Amino acid sequence: MITFNYIASFFLIALGFYTIITKFNLVKAVIGLSIADYGVNLLIISIGYVPGGTAPIFTQGEITQLSYFVDPIPQALTLTSIVIGACVTAMSMSLVMKLHESYGTLDTREIRRLHG
Amino acid sequence: MSNFMNYIHFPIYSVMVLFLGAFLIVVLGKNKTLRSIIAVLSVSISLACMIALIKPVMVNGEVIAYWMGNRVPAGGYAIGIAMEVDALSLFFGLLISTAVFVSTVYSIQYMAHDENIPQYYTLLLMLAGGVMGLVLSGDIFNMFIMVEILTFAAVALTAFRNRVFGALEAAFKYLVVGCMGSTCILAGTIMLYANAHTLNFAQLSAIIPGNMNTSTKIAFALLFVGFSTKAFIVPFHPLAADAHGAAPASISVLISGVLTKSGIYGIIRLTYFLFQTMGLSTFQFLLVFIGCVSMFLCVTMALAQHDFKRLLAFHSISQIGYVLTAVGLFTAVGFSSGIYHALNHTLFKGLLFLAAGAVLHETGTTNLDELGGLSKKMPHTTVLFLIGAFSISGIPPFNGFASKWMIYQACYQKAVESGNIGYVLVTVICLVTSVLTLASFVKVSQSVFFGRLPEKYENVKEVSFGMRLAMGIFALLCVLTGLFPDLVGKYLTQPAATAAFNASSYIDAMLGEGYAASAMGPFLPAAQNVVFYEAGVWSPMSWLLIMCIVLLAITIVAVTSKYDRVSAVSSGEADAKHALFFSGEEAVYSQVGGSDLFWGFKHNWRHYFSFMHDLHSGILNDYALWAVVDLALVMLFMLIVL
Amino acid sequence: MNNENRKIKHVITSCGCDFLIPLTLVLLFDIILHGHLSPGGGFQGGVLMVAVFTLIYLGYGYDSIKTVKGGILHDTEGIASIFYVVFAMLGVVYGGYFCENILFRSGNIGDLWSSGTIFLMNAAVGAKVLTGVGMLALYMLAILSQIRKDS
Repeated sequence: MITFNYIASFFLIALGFYTIITKFNLVKAVIGLSIADYGVNLLIISIGYVPGGTAPIFTQGEITQLSYFVDPIPQALTLTSIVIGACVTAMSMSLVMKLHESYGTLDTREIRRLHG
Repeated sequence: MSNFMNYIHFPIYSVMVLFLGAFLIVVLGKNKTLRSIIAVLSVSISLACMIALIKPVMVNGEVIAYWMGNRVPAGGYAIGIAMEVDALSLFFGLLISTAVFVSTVYSIQYMAHDENIPQYYTLLLMLAGGVMGLVLSGDIFNMFIMVEILTFAAVALTAFRNRVFGALEAAFKYLVVGCMGSTCILAGTIMLYANAHTLNFAQLSAIIPGNMNTSTKIAFALLFVGFSTKAFIVPFHPLAADAHGAAPASISVLISGVLTKSGIYGIIRLTYFLFQTMGLSTFQFLLVFIGCVSMFLCVTMALAQHDFKRLLAFHSISQIGYVLTAVGLFTAVGFSSGIYHALNHTLFKGLLFLAAGAVLHETGTTNLDELGGLSKKMPHTTVLFLIGAFSISGIPPFNGFASKWMIYQACYQKAVESGNIGYVLVTVICLVTSVLTLASFVKVSQSVFFGRLPEKYENVKEVSFGMRLAMGIFALLCVLTGLFPDLVGKYLTQPAATAAFNASSYIDAMLGEGYAASAMGPFLPAAQNVVFYEAGVWSPMSWLLIMCIVLLAITIVAVTSKYDRVSAVSSGEADAKHALFFSGEEAVYSQVGGSDLFWGFKHNWRHYFSFMHDLHSGILNDYALWAVVDLALVMLFMLIVL
Repeated sequence: MNNENRKIKHVITSCGCDFLIPLTLVLLFDIILHGHLSPGGGFQGGVLMVAVFTLIYLGYGYDSIKTVKGGILHDTEGIASIFYVVFAMLGVVYGGYFCENILFRSGNIGDLWSSGTIFLMNAAVGAKVLTGVGMLALYMLAILSQIRKDS
């Protein structure tokens, strides 16, 4: 089960990068970037998995030597990464809106005034 | 309140005061004087905290290990978020605070006519806070967060002037490829966490080098490519060229002087501390190869440019190639000359970008074919620009010569010591690049500042005092670091080089004495004494004297002989019989456009230049393809070599 | 016929939004305030504000969104960020380190006011994200209605 998660997350990252390379629409490039971010989020959360563990919410008295819980640190890292992914999407969509207003097209082959 | 002034809190002050300044400007930003006061005060406090740390960290050799919330390690395991300041971090911190201070002083006058100015200052202070947090942090996930903060701030500032030619598309390309790089850094960090179950940098440096397996090698490749995206080395240099050209000049100073250095800092931390693979000669070959390719490719691309700031951007990446080559040599001379060159590059490249900004502010264009003869109208800017141009070309009393001389010496000594003839080729490439840099700056000064002034720029005046003050600070620092290289070495670069070669003192300071020896066992890096001798005998003061005498001679000749090229050409137009020769028109002075100098060189290399021009096509998909190919090649290299 | 259909659709969507908006707002503040006791916290609660603004736009059109004052949201965002830095610096001022929990022994475990500065920092982050992401949603909805009005 857990190996399947790792394979799926690397597949998502590769799919995201592939979308950025081969698609010629700006919105599709943004979608590719988001897919790569979601792939990394899946990787982070799968690393913390401990088979048979419970949720890591304990108070001072309940925790003993035998408590068996999943790793809480990757959960915090995943939340941070989701926030960052949302911010990247927001900022890039704002840039896409302004680009469409000023160039009139969403094709990356047309948006190349700076070259050489 | 005595706890407040204890110097161990100074690193966190210099990061937090920048963020606090940014948030205060969000609330209080409408008032112009209040905004300028808050901005200058925050960056000054940050710079003062960094300078106050020179005595404990650089002179006494202590490493400040600061656990946030006082969560000290329990049971030998690091459980808190840490900040660690050793001499290498403090060196980069000083460099960054100086560049941010000068850029803020400059932008008070430079951005006075723009709109949305409070957002500009907020983003500027967030960028500065992000970079300071990156170099002073001791936790690898914290470094990733700071990298994201600085990427967003830099992208927003690149697109700040929406109506500048190409600003939006430069920002979009930088965002997409930059976020690909950040995704790689995050993936690498997570794979390291999966192996070591800790995020603390010192503990990772103790655990990872002894236990390298396939996943840590892949993590190394991902982290290396991620940080080289931030440093803009080959093949990510087109993003730098686009972003520098479109951003306001005070932001170009920060992108070229501060963001690239943060990428170099990340690469140094990875290779010297975290993975400790610099001992392998094949790995040194990787860094030296990437450095040489960056140097040579970017300086030849710069010769073909028509835009002033784009040309300066390519030169910036070429100098970063110098730094990476010198750092990759893994000798004491090499490392200290590399980081000395990083310091000098921030100073002289900042000066050049500020001068370009002054020209843009007054004339409204940066096209080399249209400008000319501005030295008559803007004499102070010309002198300051020439100081910067002399520095970057490596002319004796200025700082570029001191660091480039040490780099040549380091490459040649490496060739002699290791017996590998390839390093002689590296020295030759460094020298040829320096010559081509000089050629390029002769072209730029001729076409922008000397020559004939076009009529439309007759009303150009000198820039205002605040901007000249900022340029003057950089010029003064350029001259000082060039005249006193032994003082710079003793206080700044040698402690940093000592810190880089002694990773075990870094680990011990954070996790307690003896941790490095117990955790690493046979892989403990030996403490090396950093001692080297400079080649040749040269005294900067005598070179300064020679340069002053030569300049005085040139000035006396120019003033007393009343030499004026324009009158020499148009003196014939009063004679009517020559009017027939020019088919009835008066004699026309044809301006040699800036991009037409060295046309012979460009004609001979026309196939190379047209190939390079087509390769840098400006399409986003091409740049993303280069990024992925680079990732694949580096991953293959790491899996095979390590 | 078309006008009647549109009027019925308007009534249905505005009734649905009438039902959902108070629930969403209560859930939002519950997630923010219980951030130290249950999964949630500042960001997760704050992002729900986009859902609230979108529901108001769907149910009542752009005219109700226009009345939300952007200036107050902007200032609140800055003030909440300053409060976060102030709470973090309290640790340094009172003799400890940065971000130290100086109100350590306040309240019992499991109460609402229990974990000292963590609760205060959580509230500050929640306020900042709420106003920040809310402003983003307001800008996007304004551009959307501008495009609809033009076409």
